[in-house]
Amino acid sequence: MHINSKVIKASFAALALTFASGAQAQLNIFACEPEYAALAQELAPDAKIYSATTAMQDPHQVQARPSLIAKMRQADLAICAGADLEVGWLPMLQMKSSNAKVRSTEQGLFFAAEHIDTLDRLASVDRSMGDVHAKGNPHLHFDPDRLLQVAQALTVKLVQLDPDSKGKYDAALADFSQRWQVAIAEWQQLAKPLKGKKVIAYHSSFRYLFNWIGMEQVGDLEPKPGIPPSTSHLASLQSRAQEGDVMAIIVASYQDERGAHWLGERTNLPVQVLPMSVGGNDDSEDLFSLYRSVIGLLLSLSQQ
Amino acid sequence: MTRLNTRISAVAAACALVSHVSFAEDSSLTNPAISAVLDGYYQNTERPMAEREEGFGLGHTEVAISANIDDMFYGKLTAVLEVHEGETELGLEEAFIQTTAMPAGFSVRAGRFLSDVGYLNNQHVHTDAFSDRPAAYRAFLGSHYFDDGVRLDYVAPTDLFWAMGIEAFKGDSMRAEDEHGERDFTNLGVYTAYTKIGGDIGVSSSWQVGLSYLRNENGRLTAHEEHGIEPAADDGHDHDHAHAAKYTGENTYVADFVYKWAPNGNYKYQHLTVSGEYFKVTDFAPLDEHDDGHLHGNEHEPDDQTGWYLSSVYQISPNWSAGLRYGQVNTQELHDDHFDSQKLKETEVSLAWHHSHFSTVRLQYTNQQGTNFDGFTDDNIITLQYVMTLGAHGAHQF
Repeated sequence: MHINSKVIKASFAALALTFASGAQAQLNIFACEPEYAALAQELAPDAKIYSATTAMQDPHQVQARPSLIAKMRQADLAICAGADLEVGWLPMLQMKSSNAKVRSTEQGLFFAAEHIDTLDRLASVDRSMGDVHAKGNPHLHFDPDRLLQVAQALTVKLVQLDPDSKGKYDAALADFSQRWQVAIAEWQQLAKPLKGKKVIAYHSSFRYLFNWIGMEQVGDLEPKPGIPPSTSHLASLQSRAQEGDVMAIIVASYQDERGAHWLGERTNLPVQVLPMSVGGNDDSEDLFSLYRSVIGLLLSLSQQ
Repeated sequence: MTRLNTRISAVAAACALVSHVSFAEDSSLTNPAISAVLDGYYQNTERPMAEREEGFGLGHTEVAISANIDDMFYGKLTAVLEVHEGETELGLEEAFIQTTAMPAGFSVRAGRFLSDVGYLNNQHVHTDAFSDRPAAYRAFLGSHYFDDGVRLDYVAPTDLFWAMGIEAFKGDSMRAEDEHGERDFTNLGVYTAYTKIGGDIGVSSSWQVGLSYLRNENGRLTAHEEHGIEPAADDGHDHDHAHAAKYTGENTYVADFVYKWAPNGNYKYQHLTVSGEYFKVTDFAPLDEHDDGHLHGNEHEPDDQTGWYLSSVYQISPNWSAGLRYGQVNTQELHDDHFDSQKLKETEVSLAWHHSHFSTVRLQYTNQQGTNFDGFTDDNIITLQYVMTLGAHGAHQF
């Protein structure tokens, strides 16, 4: 009986492999956030790609709505940031869509955060700290080096799911890496004047960007992660801003600007909305133009 | 043997290659998702057929544990502590397993779980925007219908969301009132079938509509017997019926819809939810035993029992939300050999303060207008309630 069960397991595995490799001519990709849809577009240009959210939507709070269940039902691969960013809706989509292919990272589920070292990991998490992620900050797409690591890991995943097209995926990665590395050098040059600049920002959305550029976020509009700005907290930021070393107040494209404007008016600091992802402003059409736009907007602030 | 050995080593090699596997829920044997809901309230009086009593009280205090059991099964256990007349009762609201790896969009759920009929029924009560379920739910489903049974669900591979399913349940809590305790009820009492369709309108709006049918083999009232003892008019404190449907019938039809809107589809700050359901319960009049399956006294055949509600909840800011709900239910109460028509109308306003995603304090006002309803006329109800969740916070349904 023991032998039989092994044989059955092996043949099931073989069957699963056959399905995974042969059945889909065109890979169907479900991206949790637009930055991963854009990355998939670079690495698997022939795939059918759907982004569950836009740069105007907070990915912490997404409804597990019918259209997303329907899209996930058909997906071969789901690409998400991970580090619990989507914990409020992705498990429900998986449960409701009954698609075994995207259940686990062994198969067609890919978490970007698992392939890099996230910033700000926490040994222990308590709700009194706000809505924090023990696995670190999930907004990692604003670190170009880390994103390149994610691109490499994603290509391995694409090849695993669609081995027949390995050549195409390898070529796409080589092409992307080459263009990306050239761009990184350009951006580094461009962002040099931003080094050491201090900002107040909403949430830790741009943690990786500031870390990479060498900027410092000296205040958070949120009193605690996930808790909206309160008057008393904004007042404390006002006294921090009066020290005179803060360049601007930064808000992401899906965040409420009211708290920022309240503080901006009282401190004479400019308020700048940055695109959180591709589609977050008119200039951000892909990952390259997103980075260019964000760095350009920050530079214009530093020149004021 | 050699073939077997190679297979084993292949498995071992595969295990070695896979450094770690994670599921979205990320709860494993050592780390299942454990959560608790605390619900306490003060209420100046009671709503008919509702679980909350007058004065200070605890609502649904629940503890839930869930995790992927392995790569094929997911399991969840929800224990509910309720206090009725000073006694604490432990109930199991959910104890189910669900397949996660069936092909072609199928899934099976077995054990004790919330039926997928209607819109609200499969949602946990602590996610509601009002302190009690609409009157139609309280009358026809015992607030929320969970039971022991099995479900087969299918999701179609279409861009328009289309799901359908069938369920079979024991149906104990859906049995018609049996005043003498002599009736021979069917053990497999309830069957349901449902379908749901949904999608988006642009980036800001989403919708879902559903149709459900519930067949209740034990839903028809027991034929009246001479010299039968009328049950007391007030059944609100009946222990055995804490979760039982008060008004049943053999056939229940439910139509539901929900529409949600948020600016740019961003639910963080403002969003609107409009939902409504319509219930129709038929075939509840006892059959005349002397007349082989014909309704007795055709001229007295009662109207179908119906109920509906329309609810609108607006989140003004992450800290505040307000809701308005109107609902009514028309039921038929059997008295001796005839039915008395009853009506209950509820107009409700709620205002909730949310310090975070996990804590809610709600003030609700309900105006009830009853016609012959359990001897109840009209009343104004004020409820002050908190609902807070601890621990792992599961994902919400649409």
